[in-house]
Amino acid sequence: MTRVITTIRQEGFTLIELLVSLGIFLVITGAAFTLLGSSQQHYQVETQVLSSFQEARLGLDQIVRDVNDAGYPPPSFNGGDPTLFAISPFAWSAGAGYFGAPCQIGTAGGGTCTTAAGDTAPGDFDLIIETNPNPQDPSCPPLPCPVQWIRYQLQVPPQVQVPTLMRGMTQKTPGAEPDAATSGVLVPFVQNVVNNPAQPIFSYTCDTGNIRLPCTDPGANNAPANIRDVIVTLIVAAPLPDPRTGQPRLVQLTGRGRRINPNQ
Amino acid sequence: MISIFVLLLISVVAIALVVSSGTETAMAGNYRSATGVYYAALSGLEEARGRLLVKNPDAFNTTDPKNFLPAPGIDLKMGDTYYLINPVGGEPITPWDSASTYADNQFVVEFPGSVPTNPSPTAVSVWNRNPLQALKVPGALYKWVRINAVSEKSMKIDADADGKFDSIAPLHYDGVRFSNDPLAGPQVLELTSFAILPNGSQKLVQYLVAPTPVQLPPFQAALTLAGKNSGGSATVGYSAPASNANFWVQGDDHGCDGTAVAGSKFWAIGTFNSTDTDAVINGSIINGVKYTGIPTSVQKNYTGTPTPPSVNTVYSSFLSTGMQTPAGLDAALQPIIQNADVVITPSPSSTAPYLGTATGADLTPLGMNSGNLLTVVVNGNLDISNWSNDGYGLLLVTGTFTYDPDTNWYGIILVIGQGAVNNVEHKQYKQINGAMLVAKTRDSNNQVLPGPDLADSSGVAASVEFDDKMQGYGIRYSSCWVQRAQPTSSYKILSFHEIAQ
Repeated sequence: MTRVITTIRQEGFTLIELLVSLGIFLVITGAAFTLLGSSQQHYQVETQVLSSFQEARLGLDQIVRDVNDAGYPPPSFNGGDPTLFAISPFAWSAGAGYFGAPCQIGTAGGGTCTTAAGDTAPGDFDLIIETNPNPQDPSCPPLPCPVQWIRYQLQVPPQVQVPTLMRGMTQKTPGAEPDAATSGVLVPFVQNVVNNPAQPIFSYTCDTGNIRLPCTDPGANNAPANIRDVIVTLIVAAPLPDPRTGQPRLVQLTGRGRRINPNQ
Repeated sequence: MISIFVLLLISVVAIALVVSSGTETAMAGNYRSATGVYYAALSGLEEARGRLLVKNPDAFNTTDPKNFLPAPGIDLKMGDTYYLINPVGGEPITPWDSASTYADNQFVVEFPGSVPTNPSPTAVSVWNRNPLQALKVPGALYKWVRINAVSEKSMKIDADADGKFDSIAPLHYDGVRFSNDPLAGPQVLELTSFAILPNGSQKLVQYLVAPTPVQLPPFQAALTLAGKNSGGSATVGYSAPASNANFWVQGDDHGCDGTAVAGSKFWAIGTFNSTDTDAVINGSIINGVKYTGIPTSVQKNYTGTPTPPSVNTVYSSFLSTGMQTPAGLDAALQPIIQNADVVITPSPSSTAPYLGTATGADLTPLGMNSGNLLTVVVNGNLDISNWSNDGYGLLLVTGTFTYDPDTNWYGIILVIGQGAVNNVEHKQYKQINGAMLVAKTRDSNNQVLPGPDLADSSGVAASVEFDDKMQGYGIRYSSCWVQRAQPTSSYKILSFHEIAQ
């Protein structure tokens, strides 16, 4: 009996093949991970930009809504109790004459509507609105809901960590000073607001006869009670800079609030 | 495997980008919606405000249903609701139905325990009326505008500072403040507009509005005869129908229904100085024309403040308005003329003062009635002899007014210009209800007098010359009719606010 011996050839990768394939794999995965890292970074920044955009949008909507309602209710509602009607749609500090003597609105920090902190309200970065945002608020019957002072003020470091548009609301009380009353109730509203004197947050038009003109010229029309439009420009920076350019990513939104309530 | 891995990575990045841009687009869309719905709601308010004014195109009282709102001058009742609706594609809009798609849930917030009138009177938007409807242009997207009266309680204000919130009396506006007194001024109306966009964004905004009255001369007497400001000789003439014991000039205030208003009294006849007061009572001769005054036998018929004959000076009330001079009073007429419903200018005469004469026939087509009070200006003379219709509203005659007691007038009669009233026909017993003012501001060439007196260089001022036998019941003061006849120049926005939802 003859025994047949067969030989089976076993094929495999050569070392070279393995090295080449490993090299290709490393190159591809390296590229992929680099792309992934870059994408993640990009995504993170975009998320922050989006978040800034959303914050700015909500902020702008709220400011515009408050300005639209400014001066509500007018004195015709109740001339007796000053807490129940708006003396002026926009308040100013007692030091600048609130409410008997109107101050002059200025630009670039000018004007006479000076606050205790040294800025101006109404001004480029500070605004006090006098209104009743919710007269039917169920939390205040049986008495009518009092008028509120709503303040928007830009604060910058070292006062705050990052430049922040603050918002505060407090009830109007007899004899109180709008500047002081609202200074202590401000809370962060929109962060990383990077407006500058050349790009103020608030700019104004005033009723001048039958037309509206920018509140820039000194004169009787240039007073808080005559403000008709508040043009709001919010420039908000994302917390992280653009990974490619290293520059901050900015979102700029512009809106306009128009007071409809009549002149006081 | 590597391909799948790479594909996976790329997909992750792509999805992130798509989500990112999608969110951004959605937020931009939200802002667009919020702005759009705000202006849609505002457009509803503006349409309603515009259509409240009688003389505007598509005014509520000139479009069907013409009785949508009470007649001008009649207050809306507390709790009554009226809706201007703006259906798209025939959709049902029944805001008073709390189960409907566009239910008015705000009403119960302001009027706890009440519901809107079911069903409420409705009028359709101009976007649902031709010519706009035929244009097939998508109109404003508001759904409804509610028109209603407001009270202290609904507004949560204490207008009269009595420590209470009145829920019964509708608020009125005296030009400065709100008041519960219906005589303080026109009624305050609340307009509430609801808008909703196809994507669901919705907004409620609210106006309080009140008619802006055209400033009129003060009416401190049933009949005012304006004359010289002070001293000197008499300038006004008055001849009473002395043989008619039924002819009264009553300064006692009467309501629109003719009943006396307790405690409200004015003068029967007002003048500008004591000399003219004496002339009205005892007669006068002005530039050769004799006026009989009020003979003793009928002086008891001139009632009001304080006792008959109730004749006194009312000059001080004019002084505060600046209408005590020819130029001032003439200027005050211009807004009346500008806001008049009808201006009749008859063909001018060829002789001075070059004024033509209109007659009652010119007034008949106007269809005046208690629900249709008009402001009618006659640039010339008006002779209503034998015109047996009644007039409602404000009548301004710049020439001579020839009265006939065949006519009732409800409202205000101003004879300012030539400042002369007389009569030719004298039969029938009708009455003037409201107030009447006669003043001379123009000379014989129809030029404005130089002033400062309301009298010409010959000393002739206002005159009322009724013949001795003229019938009629005379003139009866009615603050109600005076107010109803008050012309309106616009509906003023008293307040605006956005309702939190």
